[in-house]
Amino acid sequence: MSTGTQLLVGMADIKVAKGPATFTCLGLGSCIGLVAFDEQADVCGMVHIMLPEAFKDKPVDKIGKFANTGVPAMIAEMEKLGANPSRMVMALAGGAQVFKFGSAASSRLDVGARNAEATLEILRGMRAKISAQDTGGSSGRTMIVKSDTGVVTVRTVHGGETELCCLRRGRRSAAA
Amino acid sequence: MSEQTHQFGLMEMSAIREMSNIGLGHATTALANMTGKSFNMEIPNVETVALEQVPLMMGNPEEVAVGICMPIEGDITGHTAFLFPWESAQDLWRMLIGTAPETPGDIDELSASVMLEIGNIVSSSFLNAISDMSNLKLHATPPMVSVDLVYTIAASIVAEAEMDEAIALALETRLYGMDDCATTGYFLCVPTLSGLNQLFRALGIAEAA
Repeated sequence: MSTGTQLLVGMADIKVAKGPATFTCLGLGSCIGLVAFDEQADVCGMVHIMLPEAFKDKPVDKIGKFANTGVPAMIAEMEKLGANPSRMVMALAGGAQVFKFGSAASSRLDVGARNAEATLEILRGMRAKISAQDTGGSSGRTMIVKSDTGVVTVRTVHGGETELCCLRRGRRSAAA
Repeated sequence: MSEQTHQFGLMEMSAIREMSNIGLGHATTALANMTGKSFNMEIPNVETVALEQVPLMMGNPEEVAVGICMPIEGDITGHTAFLFPWESAQDLWRMLIGTAPETPGDIDELSASVMLEIGNIVSSSFLNAISDMSNLKLHATPPMVSVDLVYTIAASIVAEAEMDEAIALALETRLYGMDDCATTGYFLCVPTLSGLNQLFRALGIAEAA
């Protein structure tokens, strides 16, 4: 039973929708899935961030790839649909270090942690309301957001599916 | 689409394809020697795809797999990785130690080290072959293992590779067991752009833009 548009948010993608939609970020490893929701405007957006920061000496090929370009771009897309950044509630997941076995695993540069740090830094800078976050560790996460209920769920290979948070203040039952 | 991909000439692409073909031939032989089974491989797929497409290149992205990743150092830098879908990984464990973990949560030090060893031997064979052909120094660094979705593993490798330096193409192929062996695996190699240019120079081919 699905409600509204189904949106698969691939690596470096930004997807936004007004009204009921289901957003899925498949298999977030070191990547970050960030969702923002404006309940009043009923506009939801998601970005699948791959790296913390755009390269200084290289043109940005895809704006959603980097935390420092992807977050503002997603918010701008949402504003076009009538959302207001001051009303947005956000949640994020990902930033894991999935290579956990092997002598070099812990000493490698940890892209996941840097992605999470960079994203949070940007969100803090804009005083965003963060409802919940599920970052770090060594498990990949699939993040699913249903904008009609506001429920954000996170699924892992090792630990099954759990509800991360609800982005709607007045939780609506699916039957209503 | 606005993604920028580096364009290589026919000469460069066929050189990469030919070298990876030979390199992977050595890698496949190494895997066969380890397991006592026959393996074959498909002609490597060399694509200058946008990197965010790479996780979708290998079979079913939502399948659980064991991924062994090895950063390459030396004259050419980049990353190589083998991904074995869970049931194929279990086959490999049974071939090598007679028993396999039932679920990803059951992986212990021993079963992890078996995969590290496979990665070590198979990737080193690949790199040695490239090194012999080009006279460039290449060495594998200690491998790392992950058990997760194919998508998750591939995406994390691409992100880590891109974090170090720009990468321009992905080389991918499928290995499969022959006769009574149904084991399959995917090989992924993402060299850096500067590494590729080193390779082309060593081979006397015009440098990529």
